[in-house]
Amino acid sequence: MGWFSGLFGSTGDGTDAAARAREWETALERNELPAFVKTRLQETAENRRPWISTSAPGSLLAQRLRGIRPLGMVSGNCWFHYGYSWTHGHYRGWKTALQRLWQEAALMGANAVVDVTMRIRRMPGPENADHMDYGVIGTAVRLDGLPESSNPAVATVSALEFLRLLEAGIVPVGVAIGAQYSWLTPGAGLGGNMTGFGMNMSGAGPMGMGAGGMGWNQEWVALSRLAEQVRRQAIQQMRDDGLRIGSGILGQTQHSELLGFPADQENPYPRFLVRHIAIGTAILHDGRTVKRMGVVPVINAGNAGRLVPDDKSKEVI
Amino acid sequence: MADALEGLPQHAIERLKGLRDTSRRGGIFTSDFSVNEFLMVGEAGFEPLGLVVGSCIYHTGIQYAAWAKNQEMSVLSQAMYEARELAMTRMEEEAQALLADGVVGVRLEVKRMDWDKDILEFLAIGTAIAHRQGHPGFKGVNGKPFTSDLSGQDLWMLLQSGYRPLAMVMGSCVYHVAHQGVFRSLGNIGRNVEIPQFTQAMYDARELAMERMQHEAQEAAAEGVVGVQLHEGSHNWQPHVIEFFAVGTAVKAIEDAAIIPEKMTPQIVIPVND
Repeated sequence: MGWFSGLFGSTGDGTDAAARAREWETALERNELPAFVKTRLQETAENRRPWISTSAPGSLLAQRLRGIRPLGMVSGNCWFHYGYSWTHGHYRGWKTALQRLWQEAALMGANAVVDVTMRIRRMPGPENADHMDYGVIGTAVRLDGLPESSNPAVATVSALEFLRLLEAGIVPVGVAIGAQYSWLTPGAGLGGNMTGFGMNMSGAGPMGMGAGGMGWNQEWVALSRLAEQVRRQAIQQMRDDGLRIGSGILGQTQHSELLGFPADQENPYPRFLVRHIAIGTAILHDGRTVKRMGVVPVINAGNAGRLVPDDKSKEVI
Repeated sequence: MADALEGLPQHAIERLKGLRDTSRRGGIFTSDFSVNEFLMVGEAGFEPLGLVVGSCIYHTGIQYAAWAKNQEMSVLSQAMYEARELAMTRMEEEAQALLADGVVGVRLEVKRMDWDKDILEFLAIGTAIAHRQGHPGFKGVNGKPFTSDLSGQDLWMLLQSGYRPLAMVMGSCVYHVAHQGVFRSLGNIGRNVEIPQFTQAMYDARELAMERMQHEAQEAAAEGVVGVQLHEGSHNWQPHVIEFFAVGTAVKAIEDAAIIPEKMTPQIVIPVND
């Protein structure tokens, strides 16, 4: 087992775990990276360590032929506790994580970060319901003909999509985020247009708070409006966020939640929570990179069955 | 071949001997290739020899983490690394016995057992392939068969770009995330704040896994690592313990220009039906 000793328990450069933890602590406080991370990233950018890419070989080849070179994987995360505002928490959590990823890429002199994937982590158990980790990972790349950059563009699109965009005269410049939430407590008469629903909220329906007990078809106006309002606000916020860096937003991810909470000791009426988060890549137009795109029909020799995801084909049947 | 076969059970030797040379009548190969994958491996100048497997059932040691401390669970990190390495090595031995140049499409799986949370099964499975003309320039580290989690299509693509696979490289780090004390938790109620202790644990664990994978690639004298994936998982461990596992294929530029397949330029295709 001698071959492990160099790899575990202590790190490559010999710092012990406690010293490493202290370095992390100071670095994160100062919005920086520990020295050993900086060294690794810089040595990777200078080809003194192997480059690392999330791309498959096909994508790498296409990138190389178009002057894009992988430098290394970069990442960032932020474990955030949202006490008074879920909206603010999501916004800050993602923004901080992206800022840290950007910082790593800037250290490598990257021109862009592509293939950025976003993931969340939670701790199990109800006591951990109000905090989670926002994590982002992507590949930092250098573009031929451009000087090293201290301000890399971050994009959630894949490397190939990034290339296609460049060829269409569009430069991805960053990630725009919008997050909003709102509560509705219909029983207390706070829900705006509640005509006809107020009395029924605490009685019939699933969980004892739905509108379904009335026996006829009718839109639940208050909740519809709230959901619509929250979504509009979230999209507006993403738009405003995107405007600061670009002129349009692509490749959006939208996530919505509508949660119902039954009445309890502190809340005499059932409540509803609507949340919406929208994330997209902000773009700018730049005519210098345009290449004409021709349309070539291609027949895919792959397994045709795979073109339709399983769940979809089941729906049809 | 005799040397390579030493240490393998008789039935395995018989099975492996039957596989070599697919063009000969009576020879048969096994693989888990799809049709396209099989054709592309052929296009790249290789032929499949047989499915090769390696497994390792591992009992992980016990390690207690301090409740309120961020720390690497080095006993578990080592266990996860060693067990995967053992499964991979056994798979490689099978490939060596086949006189293979490499193994593609390697899947590395970890299975947990319901009956004992300390026992994990590690399985490595892939298809051994050999260069049709027997060119020696494709061997991996120390003349052993290369290993790669790339598909047959990806292998063809990789060779097109002037690179050849060397070895699957990996880095693992099992980390204990500190519990927040009651006072600290109470202090956060109603506030929107980062929990730096948790952030730091995730950051450090991820960095360690990446660092180790890159170190392996460096040891293999690789130029780069392609198709890197970062997995996160908990294998029957307590909630605050998480594994970060980085894995990818280390690659190197092809030294002999004569074996780079005929150059093709891939087109970027935009499907119009999605």
